[in-house]
Amino acid sequence: MDQLIQENKLSKEEIFETLNQFISEVIGEEFVEEMDISPASSFTKDLEMDSIEIVAFSEKVKNHFGSNIDFTGWLSNMDLDEIIQLKLENIVNYIQECQ
Amino acid sequence: MPIINLPNVRLHVQELNPEGRETIVMIHGMFSNLAVYYFNIAPMLAKHFRVVLFDMKGHGMSEKVQTGYDLTSMTNDVRDLMDELGIEKAHLAGYSYGGLVALKMATRFPERVGKLAIIEGPDPSEQETLTIIDTYSKEFLIHYIENFADTTRLLAGKRQLEKNHQMYEFLFNETSIRSDMEGEKGFFNDPAVAEISHETLLIYGEESNCVPSGRTLASRIKNATLLLAPGDHNVPVQQPEVIGTELAKFFLKDLNLYQTDLLMHH
Repeated sequence: MDQLIQENKLSKEEIFETLNQFISEVIGEEFVEEMDISPASSFTKDLEMDSIEIVAFSEKVKNHFGSNIDFTGWLSNMDLDEIIQLKLENIVNYIQECQ
Repeated sequence: MPIINLPNVRLHVQELNPEGRETIVMIHGMFSNLAVYYFNIAPMLAKHFRVVLFDMKGHGMSEKVQTGYDLTSMTNDVRDLMDELGIEKAHLAGYSYGGLVALKMATRFPERVGKLAIIEGPDPSEQETLTIIDTYSKEFLIHYIENFADTTRLLAGKRQLEKNHQMYEFLFNETSIRSDMEGEKGFFNDPAVAEISHETLLIYGEESNCVPSGRTLASRIKNATLLLAPGDHNVPVQQPEVIGTELAKFFLKDLNLYQTDLLMHH
């Protein structure tokens, strides 16, 4: 039983890799190549994602990680400054907690 | 990514709370996209309603098309979208040019519209948008994005500037958007606007240049209430909680008892 849970839970690295892939799908690989995406990258400042790109990214997160992750709901509880500050690692942690 | 094929165009659509009993369709403004509602205002309304957001043609992630930015074509899109999603009747909320689309819906398809919420709908005979289009340049664009565009506060950096530049270039130089908007100059004087009988909420930013437009609509639409909120034309971005709360209050008011009962037990 323990092992089953172990197998189902993704590590932070795995989640990060998946999110990284989503980002390059949303903003285009040519831009991603020029960037050094790390868990500390912020969405708006470092990755220069605008709001419609974050919508597309959210959609991918929902489709991939399942509907028990209320990513949009989680974001909607933040004010604009918090969203601007949002880093990849915050999302990695959120998804891991939801698993 | 939910792209819906309509007879004339492919639109990017996002739905929140699809199980909601009544539906609100939200229409964004020119040079913007559905993200203006997606993060704050729409989730607030989705606690009580099914909420449908879409990117207008040529905007956001919808199909880039060269023609059909006039209010008749735009309302054809909204009608087709409602048909496609099986929505017989919906409340409408529209911001800026999207507010004009919502008004036009009420004049063309009154039986398919519940309540109407118009945020910062500009009088097209007065609005400076057309002048803005004529003086357009990249330098102007930087200024415009910093000061006026409703997506601005989430924007930064070169790639975004380039992306926005391309959107304006496309819409201004490769589509009929200028002439389509010019063709709507007389819209507020259309007798059909004065015949709108839907319950209507007009929300304007108290510092906005568009307040006189709000007063004009308030005087013409008999069932309209004008509400001034703190902010300017960008009020949905500046005060999303205020706008979300006011919209929820307006759309929830006078729901029948059965529905009120449902809400109380939520």
